[in-house]
Order: sequence, then structure tokens, then C-alpha cells
Amino acid sequence: MNNKEYLKDFAGKTLFVQGDEAAAYGALFAGCNFFAGYPITPASEVAELMAKELPKVGGFYIQMEDEIASMGAIVGAAWTGGKTMTATSGPGFSLMQENIGYACMTETPCVIVDVQRSGPSTGQATKGAQGDMMQARWGTHGDHEIIALCPNSIQESFDLMVEAFNLSEKFRSPVIFLTDGEIGHIREKLVIPELKDIFIQPRRISESKVDIFGGERIPPMIEFGQGHKIHVTGSTHKSNGMRDVSSQNVHDVLIRRIYEKIELNRDIIVKYETHFTDDMDYLVISYGASARPSLGAVHSLRKQGKKIGMLRLITIWPFADKITRELCKKVKKVFVPEMNLGQIAREVERFTSNPVIKISKIGGVSHTINEISEEIISNI
Amino acid sequence: MTEESIFAGFGGQGVLSMGMMLAYSGMKEGKEVCWMPSYGPEMRGGTANCITIVSDTMISSPIISTFDTVVALNQPSVDKFEKKIRPGGNIIYDSANILTPPTRTDINIYAIPGSDEALKLKNTKVLNMIILGAFIAARKTVKPETVMKALYDVLPERHHKMIPLNEKAFAIGMSFIK
Repeated sequence: MNNKEYLKDFAGKTLFVQGDEAAAYGALFAGCNFFAGYPITPASEVAELMAKELPKVGGFYIQMEDEIASMGAIVGAAWTGGKTMTATSGPGFSLMQENIGYACMTETPCVIVDVQRSGPSTGQATKGAQGDMMQARWGTHGDHEIIALCPNSIQESFDLMVEAFNLSEKFRSPVIFLTDGEIGHIREKLVIPELKDIFIQPRRISESKVDIFGGERIPPMIEFGQGHKIHVTGSTHKSNGMRDVSSQNVHDVLIRRIYEKIELNRDIIVKYETHFTDDMDYLVISYGASARPSLGAVHSLRKQGKKIGMLRLITIWPFADKITRELCKKVKKVFVPEMNLGQIAREVERFTSNPVIKISKIGGVSHTINEISEEIISNI
Repeated sequence: MTEESIFAGFGGQGVLSMGMMLAYSGMKEGKEVCWMPSYGPEMRGGTANCITIVSDTMISSPIISTFDTVVALNQPSVDKFEKKIRPGGNIIYDSANILTPPTRTDINIYAIPGSDEALKLKNTKVLNMIILGAFIAARKTVKPETVMKALYDVLPERHHKMIPLNEKAFAIGMSFIK
């Protein structure tokens, strides 16, 4: 756990910072004490602030040789008792996928920040995008569930980062902080809460038992140096950690449990925000940076007397299935503005038989309010 | 009151800092603020701009396509953003740097010889403070005193010796607005 004394200086203060910096402050306040990363635009500011501040709270910052190693380092450090994080953008996120799978399989709490930029490949380095939504969900191979959060403001970048660390501890799972180059680089007001107002989920530690890969749906971990010998492996393993790669039953029990610990707790994890949904004919669903002009468009259309409602997804994965299904039933059409060619629109289609209209914008500039409202008006 | 502005120029002219100073000063006065940069991968040169919104009410979207005020420090910025000014809006430009000035008749045009004045102060880096002075005098978005105080917060302590020069530059900029 990191040194609270130093953080006291920031608590209660109002800062004028970028989304990346707000996320890094959020991590410090959530108790992060280990960061390994490889700087990349537009995520470099996260690494920069962590490099500067982490040693002051008694934590460690390591600049790694690449993103593969960064992800490996945060998984390793988490097993020594650390609260760990890395930050990257699309090209680095692609490299991290292998070890994200390892974190899922070994049920390692850690936070991965992806400040999305235009892709595929190197794409547009300095421009924001939301093209990694599905990569966050299915980037690593094999059956797994993942938690991914999408902030839409500087304040939320801080608040959701604390939440990301808490969820990673609570569900013993990697959590992806899925922001974008636009929110990452905007500067707005950030009010840092008082220390007593920030809830920190402690790590569950088993005193004696070494069955830390089974027995209960979310088993406790053990602490490094506790005296137990334990095997942490990405291969299929029994509840005591020993490999068993030939039994159908062992694999079935392990993977279903890892899947269910998130799937069956969907209602606890999923967060969203609704606007004007009590009385609406059309629904707008958006998230992250594109939720800002979307809400602006909803407000301006409401002023013109159009009955438009909005659902803003804060948790992207697991998907907000119930509320999406319920709200989509109430309307004639659903609009999904996003900075990709329709990744979440496609997910929304799974929950409704009503027409889902994509309002896509790519190329590093997000929608303007007018673009969204004109698109809606021409379709209603 | 909501002031939706864009500061545009070449990378290295201090356009991003100019917008940031305005937004930070707005925040010091308790207003809602949002600052959004846009730039290419180059460290210097290339074009850079930042949308800066200062408002008394919640800012729903940082992304806007028309502006109350455009600050243009190079020719491409005048060419690109003059047409995006709302009728009755304003353009403030560096007249020492721009060969084809804005021509619209439905907006207020402020020509500030910023680069020449900065040369007279023997430091071209204060161009942005001269222009910001003109902006504040013309738009009154925040109080000039707030900007002066903000300098102490924004500049790292090792640069505090530059503050008197910045104050002087700011005052010169203000003096161009009648």
C-alpha cells in the first residue's frame, strides 16, 4: 500500500489537468504502487506522471523494453502484493494481449489503460479513436470475461480509475481502462476527493489455505513471503495451482468459474447513465468521448421538441444487457454515435430487433453536436 | 456567458499554452472550462490548435465547429477558421505574420502586430502573451489580474523570473484594444 501522507497534499484540491493525468492521479489514490510501461502517444502522460509521483508514495516505476514485458511485469508484481498498472495505446495494446490472457487465466488483479488512437497499426498517433472496443473484449484468445470501463470526462477519468482498481481486486481479474486520445488530452477541472471519501477494496488474502485457484467463485490470494509454495501458471491448473492439461473436467471447472465470476456479477459491475428515457421515441447510445457531443445533440433536439433519450455506457464490458434491452423496447429506432465503424452498434443489435443506426466518425476528429443531430433528424 | 474560442498557429508559437492560460484563469474564477488540443506528430512546425471553452454553465461537448472568437497566428489558420466564426464574432490575428488578412464584414477584426512587439521585447516567445492580452481586453472573458496570478501557478518556479516580461507583454497586448 502506498504512502498516504504524500497524497494528503492533493486531497480536496482542484486541478486543471488532462484525462491521462487524472487517470494517473486516480491510480495513486486507489493505492497503485507499481507501474511498468512503455510510453506511447497519446498515453505518455500517464507514464510521465507516474514516473514523477510514484516514487514519492513509495511505489515503483519501471520503463520496460516493450509492451509485452510491461504487461508481464505488472502481472508478476501483482503476485508480490502490488497494486499494479500499465498504460498504452492501440499498437501497444495489441502486444499486451498475450499477457492479458495470462492475467485472466492466473486471475491476477491489475489495471491496463488503453488510450485509444486511430488504427489499425500505427494509424494516426496523435488522434483519438474508439477502435479498440472489441479488442478489449476479445483481444486475447480463449473463453474469458473481461471488465472494461469508459470515462467521458476528466473527473470521471479519476473516479473510474479508482473503481477499476477496486473491481480488479474484488473480482481478481485484469480490468481495462478504455479511454481515448480525446478524453486523454482534454484539460478540465478535476476535484480530488478527500482521502476518507475514497473507498479502496482491500486484497483478500488467505491465511492458511493454498487452494487459491478454486474452492469458491472468487478465491482469495496469498501474499508473497507468507511461506507457501504455489504455482502460478497460464496452463490449465487445479485449485492448488498444479498443471493438469489433459483433464476435460479440470479445464471445464476452471474456465467456467473464471467466466462466471464476472458474468454472474454483471449487475454489480455494470454502470450507466440515462437522460430523458422516461418519455422518448428514439434512443441514443454512446460512451466515452463520443458521448459528449451525443448528449449535446440530445439536449438540442429536446429543445426542438423531439422525443430523444440517451443511454451512456460507463461500463463497456460486461455489456449493459438489461438496460439496453429494456430501453430499446421503448423506442422506434436506436442511434449509436461512436468513433469507429460500428463496433458497439453491432453489440446493441444483439439486444433489439429495432433498427440500430450507426453514426460513425473516424479519422481522429470526433462528431460535432450538429453532425449527430442532423443524422438523427434525417432518420426520424 | 459562454466563450467558445479556438487558438491556432504553428507548433512552437505557444498557441496551446495561450488557450490553457485562458482556461486555467477561468477555472480560478470558478467558471466551467474545457481545453482540447489538436496537433500533429511534429515537435515544432506543423499546425496546432486548441479549442477553449469558458462558461458559466456546464459544458456538454468540447467539440464545436463554429466559434465566438478565433485567434490566428499564421496564414493557414486565418484561411481555415475565418469562415467558421459566428456572425458578430471576433478574429484576433498577428498582423506582422499574416499577408492576407481576414475580410469578413460581419465580424470584429482585431489586427495585433504581436510578432513585431515581441521582437521589440527581445523575446519572440512572449508573442502568445501579447495576443492573450489583446484577447482579454477585447473579450473580457476573465479579469486580467486573474491571468497574472495564474502565471505563478502555471509556470514552474525556475521560470518565475520570466513573469515580469510576460506581464509587460500582456499589458502591451491589452493596449492595442481601444
